[in-house]
Amino acid sequence: MERAPVRAPLIKNLQFKVGLLLSLTVLLALGLVFYGLYARGLFEPTQTLNLTAPDAEGVSVGMPVSFSGFPIGEVKKMDLSEDGKVLIEVAIPKRDAKWLRHNSQFTLEKGLIGSARIKAHTADLRERPLVDGATLPLLTGEDPTDIAVIKQRVQTLLDNVVAMTQAEAPINRTLGHVETMTGRMAGEYGVLGGVMGSPEKARQVVKIIEQANTLMGNVNGISLKVDGMLAKADTQVFGPDGVMDHTRQSVATVNRMLGEVRESLKKADAILASAQTASADVAVITGNVKEATTDMAQLRVEIDDSVRKVNHLINEINKKWPFARDVEIRTP
Amino acid sequence: MSAELPLRANLVVLENIAVVPQYVQNLSYLDAADVAWNLLLQVGYADAAYKRDPALTHEERFVAKLLRAVVGRPDLLLIDRPAMLLPDTRYPPFVDDVLRRLDDRLNHCWILDYRWNEPLYAPR
Amino acid sequence: MRGCYDSRMAWLSDFLIRRGTAALALLRTWQGILRFAAQALIAASTPAAYNSATRMVVMKQIYFTAWQILLPFTLFAALLSFVLIQIVVSTAARIGQSDFALEMSMRILVLEILPLVTALFVALRSSSAINTEVALMRIHNEIDALEEAGVDTLRMEFMPRVIGGVVSVLALTAITSVLALVLAYLAVYGFQLWSLPDFTRVMGKVFDAAIMTGIWLKSLAFGLAVTIIPVAEGLATPRMLFMAPISVLRGMVRLFFVLMLIEVASLAFKYI
Repeated sequence: MERAPVRAPLIKNLQFKVGLLLSLTVLLALGLVFYGLYARGLFEPTQTLNLTAPDAEGVSVGMPVSFSGFPIGEVKKMDLSEDGKVLIEVAIPKRDAKWLRHNSQFTLEKGLIGSARIKAHTADLRERPLVDGATLPLLTGEDPTDIAVIKQRVQTLLDNVVAMTQAEAPINRTLGHVETMTGRMAGEYGVLGGVMGSPEKARQVVKIIEQANTLMGNVNGISLKVDGMLAKADTQVFGPDGVMDHTRQSVATVNRMLGEVRESLKKADAILASAQTASADVAVITGNVKEATTDMAQLRVEIDDSVRKVNHLINEINKKWPFARDVEIRTP
Repeated sequence: MSAELPLRANLVVLENIAVVPQYVQNLSYLDAADVAWNLLLQVGYADAAYKRDPALTHEERFVAKLLRAVVGRPDLLLIDRPAMLLPDTRYPPFVDDVLRRLDDRLNHCWILDYRWNEPLYAPR
Repeated sequence: MRGCYDSRMAWLSDFLIRRGTAALALLRTWQGILRFAAQALIAASTPAAYNSATRMVVMKQIYFTAWQILLPFTLFAALLSFVLIQIVVSTAARIGQSDFALEMSMRILVLEILPLVTALFVALRSSSAINTEVALMRIHNEIDALEEAGVDTLRMEFMPRVIGGVVSVLALTAITSVLALVLAYLAVYGFQLWSLPDFTRVMGKVFDAAIMTGIWLKSLAFGLAVTIIPVAEGLATPRMLFMAPISVLRGMVRLFFVLMLIEVASLAFKYI
């Protein structure tokens, strides 16, 4: 039987190429699987650590255990023990077990968001190492490394709160003042009452202003009449039979009376001045009172104005007063 | 064999023949190719061994189909209307010639043809 | 009035019959696909089914489906991976979640996009070819001719195609996935090896046993789909030449549908 001639194959090195592709695939696939398993720590010799906790809420199988932020193990399984506690079995790679000591502390931390985490804390790395299969409690409270600091801070905070809430505490007094202030402001005379300290005083201020206004009205009337009279009676007044003597007496009286007006206005001024300082103090406590201060300032400007006008008028009268007239000027 | 049972289009003649022993007798490709090659030599059509179907002449295609049928050593070989397979040939002498060369490999061979073509065949 | 009613009834029954026939045909198609899948898988898992010719066809299929496109497809996958990783990394940096960039790149590329893109690429290139070839074989009667000669066409032509397709999809997925992992490492950590433990940790987080199995099962399903559906569709082609394009069209649409179904199922399994 004759051999068939060996012909150059259609595809060169078909077997080699396919074999290469297949072995590459198998290699990559197996490599990926083994790398994945290695990454999952399957080839890592581990030791078990049992954690007991009263409550395992938030703990799940596969949850990492971290030390200084590095994952060093994970929860393998969870169970309930005879006494109703939760038993959490953690696998720690031997490589990472050196970070744990027999007195390491394990805490369960729950953030507001995100899942819970088990953290390991080792205070002293010179202690005895953790043995395989050891059982340690899982603290479900706060991070113990910060507890002392937090406790101190909370104590200080509580002390402050106590001091603040005592009867003679400055803040209490201040609050009392603010209360009195606002009480007065809520009263009949509003902000003015608040600034002046009592409704009586406020009423006085209002009265002063009213009186000053009335006075001005009267004085204005007088000056008009006086002007009119002056035109007619110029000659009579300055006659030689000594009318002026009487007049001078009356003018002196008026002068005295007006001096009194001035005095009382000065008093009002003083009151207002003190009111302004008071309001400045109050402004520190409550911003609202700032308006009160501007009110007061305006009031003061008005009163100053009145006083100036009255003074001016008196000067006029002093210059021109021809008659002894019965002018009633009430003192405030 | 029939005009309605064509060769596998993406295989050369040799492979078309060899594929049968590969499957029926589980021969390796090389052994099966040897079988096919020897059959082709026997009928004198080794030139066509590495041609594909579209490149074949009618005679070559006829031989290829015949050998594909013969290689399985069937009890009965039926050639259905050879005129359809060999349109440009005076086919009875050609078929006779090919069959004579394959004599040692045939059990029974029937040629199915129209009665009006009977005079074309040599009497047996 | 009565005639109108009758014609309406006739129209309705006609409509229902047509719908029912279409539904039954669809059912039969899927039944055919499943039957072929079962046959191919049984043949593939029978060692006696492999002979020299089958092995040769398997090798040729792997060569045509995987080897020929290995270099261009790998380059394309690298480009796609690179762009997607860059997008993920820069987006993660912008929203302040750089820690997740690597994990996200891995999940997006290795778990989802690369297997799907590979399957789509192979579908586009090889499945259409297989569908056409099988349809033409069927139309030209080559299948019957081979069966007549004593050749088991399932073992010779179809099962090797399925094996070749599965192997090719797995190979291309594995190669591009590893490439994507390397690119992700480079994109996140740069050209140095010191971050390998970090990378390993993220790997361990992403690739647990279930995910690994999931990727391989998904790639396997993709590989089976890209060959079984076109072969079954080609085998179901009526023996008329003008049916070839229709067969390919149907096969490709069904294949796309099945690929998407596999992807959605895997996503649902993973994240729901």
